Amino acid sequence: MTEPAPAAASSNPLPNPLRQGLSEERIPEPATMVIFGASGDLTKRKLVPALYSLARDRLLPARFAVVGYARKPLGDDAFRADMRKGCDEFARRRPVDEGLWNTFAQQLFFQEGDYDKPEAYAALKKRLEEIEAAHGLPGNRVFYLSIPPSSFATVVRNLGAAGLTTEDNAGPGGKPTKFARVIIEKPFGTDLATAQQLNRDIHQTLTERQIYRIDHYLGKETVQNLLVFRFANGIFEPVWNNRFVDHVQITGAETVGVEGRGGYFEQAGILRDMVQNHLMQVVSLTAMEPPIALDADAIRDEKLKVLKALRTIPTAEMDAHVVRAQYGAGSISGKPVPGYREEQGVSRSSQTETYVAMKFFIDSWRWAGVPFYLRSAKRMPKRVTEIAIHFKEAPHLLFGRTGEGIRPNVLAIRIQPDEGIALNFGSKLPGPAMQVAPVSMEFRYGSSFGVEPPEAYERLILDCMLGDGTLFTRADEVEASWTWISRIHKHWAQQAAEGKVQVATYAAGSWGPEPAERLITADRRAWRRP
Amino acid sequence: MADAPAATPAAAEAFTRGEPISVEVDRIEGALAGLWKEASRDAGGAVARAALWNIVVATRAADLERTKRTVDELAPLVPARVLVLVEDPTAEKTDEAAARVQASIESNVVARSGGARVVYSEEITLRGGVAGDQHFGGLVRALQVPGLPTATLWLDPTMPEALLRRQLRPATDRLVLDTGRCTRPRQLLEIDRCADLARGAIPVADLGWLRLASFRLLFAGLFDPPVGGGPLGGARRVKIEHKPGAEVSALLLAAWLASALDWLFASAEPAAPGAPALFRFDRAKDGAAAGSVEITLTPSEGACGTSGIVAIELATADASGAESAYSVRRAEQNLATISVPIAPPRSMKLDSRTDAELVLSALGPAGADPLFRRALTLAARLATFASAGT
Repeated sequence: MTEPAPAAASSNPLPNPLRQGLSEERIPEPATMVIFGASGDLTKRKLVPALYSLARDRLLPARFAVVGYARKPLGDDAFRADMRKGCDEFARRRPVDEGLWNTFAQQLFFQEGDYDKPEAYAALKKRLEEIEAAHGLPGNRVFYLSIPPSSFATVVRNLGAAGLTTEDNAGPGGKPTKFARVIIEKPFGTDLATAQQLNRDIHQTLTERQIYRIDHYLGKETVQNLLVFRFANGIFEPVWNNRFVDHVQITGAETVGVEGRGGYFEQAGILRDMVQNHLMQVVSLTAMEPPIALDADAIRDEKLKVLKALRTIPTAEMDAHVVRAQYGAGSISGKPVPGYREEQGVSRSSQTETYVAMKFFIDSWRWAGVPFYLRSAKRMPKRVTEIAIHFKEAPHLLFGRTGEGIRPNVLAIRIQPDEGIALNFGSKLPGPAMQVAPVSMEFRYGSSFGVEPPEAYERLILDCMLGDGTLFTRADEVEASWTWISRIHKHWAQQAAEGKVQVATYAAGSWGPEPAERLITADRRAWRRP
Repeated sequence: MADAPAATPAAAEAFTRGEPISVEVDRIEGALAGLWKEASRDAGGAVARAALWNIVVATRAADLERTKRTVDELAPLVPARVLVLVEDPTAEKTDEAAARVQASIESNVVARSGGARVVYSEEITLRGGVAGDQHFGGLVRALQVPGLPTATLWLDPTMPEALLRRQLRPATDRLVLDTGRCTRPRQLLEIDRCADLARGAIPVADLGWLRLASFRLLFAGLFDPPVGGGPLGGARRVKIEHKPGAEVSALLLAAWLASALDWLFASAEPAAPGAPALFRFDRAKDGAAAGSVEITLTPSEGACGTSGIVAIELATADASGAESAYSVRRAEQNLATISVPIAPPRSMKLDSRTDAELVLSALGPAGADPLFRRALTLAARLATFASAGT
């Protein structure tokens, strides 16, 4: 077949009337995605499989291209072959559809280049313009930075210097006619100072509207469902406050250890790896006030208020409120596993925490006096992330001894796995006696909706292409979270400097160390067994 | 007719395997409760029963097998209490027997990959003779799960409209039709009348419209930026190729285009069976006609999926009269080739959804498309010209 010569398209096209009635299908404008770090694991395991699944679900525009960018010398064909392997193994929609793959693969390209050499970006720009001209692409671009955090600022600066991030404001409502957006993977900084510096650096090139800081937890259905659950149901919001809630428990437990990433984890620890980003986002969505609108900034404004309202833990009380620990040898799923210090890449005298449990308060009218207990760890007995809202007991119990089965109501929101919501309440046991037993009323996504939920990366990539930043974290959110977390790190650093470090240990496969039990039992409460 | 079944372990096991169990009509709820209780005991804990919708399916006895198949396929997609209403004029011979309704209950089980049964939905089949359907409305109202919306699947355009109008319409929150089951274009008029029964108060979905959805999406996508909607203002000719016998689908696609672009129907050239049909429209612009567009429906033998549409091509002209072509053409393996002037042809994925998947879509936002009603009315009007003698 003879390919037609590319024709010029209008720079300010008229609206498309045929989209009427098809608006529920959120299909973005034609665009090119450039993946920095394209030879890395994330590209092969998550990003390209996510793009393939989007194409499979007809959620990508008809005209779309992916350009992998990495230092490694790799041609288009080798890149396509590598990505095919990734899709075969990791795509949500498998087996890979041959017919679709053949056309999808023709939209994959590879560009070799360094991250720090300006001439490499000039070459990238030239390649993008060639691809866009040949495929009728309008010049919309998404740059996905799946690279070491130390290169974020350099790449953004070089993209800007090459003119690759420039947007006009000539569209309706001052919107750009061609967009340039940058997705930045975690970790965003290692403490408050580095996060602030990174924000300053990238803001020299990009406006905040162009920046999409990705936290894949926010792409999970249940996390998004928190907004719906709280603000679309009239019965929950009235009791979602300190008048009815006794305390909140948030658990982020993994069964895996450091999985060959000992070197990285030694520098990070669970507080940076899980709590500062994922679980703080969960906290803010759980505790936020209703936003004034369902738009990105209205929601992020409310989340920010929660993070700013986190009560500062006085240094003198830090050890009483924050427990850290390391896993020792133990057993997971019936198999022996080594302790953290025996893991590859981990110092034998490491003080890095693989477990953290904490108690904190949110100083707001809604949550005044309600303790939040949060724990996150590796090598727990099961993989589970959940939010448990523990309600206060009934003010007067009528049932005496026959009511021994009465437990306070708990609303558990399971984020992973088996996403769903369960409400525990007391019920009369059938029979002549007035005996009460706890029962659970469950909703599970897998049972109630036959539709398979998309992978978090699918949702987030699509949102970025659509220009919807709701599920991405804003600069001030990141800094507010680091402000609170960095105080804990600072305290631990001070202890290390004074030689006073005390990291408890727990057996792999247990629910954590004794000090973490005391953290909550001292308040006459207990950790939930999720 | 059996009495209410004893909720024995054997009966519960048969029930949770999905086998139908006959019951007296006035004991349906009691029998279900007993069997679920026994099934829970057997499972060592409560079995998960789930329902998001009441789904009422009206069908003829001759079509029952197909209907049951769709209901079974629907179970893993949307937990529901399904009420299958079977009009069976041959079931009973005497007037008294013809007025009776027979009932059976069964469960639809969703199993995980390991084989564990995880969700059970209920299916109640009510079979009525000639006069039996007068009871259907009351039974539906009695058997609806409270608090859940009710969708009525009225998929057979030849079913007696009175059952829908008198008995089912008041209990319905969403009406689901299927233009894809029309065997003659003029049956679109009957479908349009059924849709009118909703009186704009309840959403009306059409599985035929949804079968066209991915084709409409791909074609609409041709006019996204950087092309934009500009070329549509210069439309001259549209050619829709369809499988022989799928004229209704082609009419609906033509009506979609005309409705979305505000083209006004001007005239038609009736076609002989098997020959192309031609319709002329005026392109409206600021209230004044701004040129005409011809839409041709042409029978063709290419790949067409379940929609019956092989291809759609649009020819446009710019101010200088230079023509450009935009097309979507179905290929094998559920792919389509899209062509626009500014880029090389490209393959895209189309869908070919089962009826159950289409029903799921009909119960969601896509099943409340206001453009569908306009398009259906126009398609019904075009159908009167579509094919002489049909």
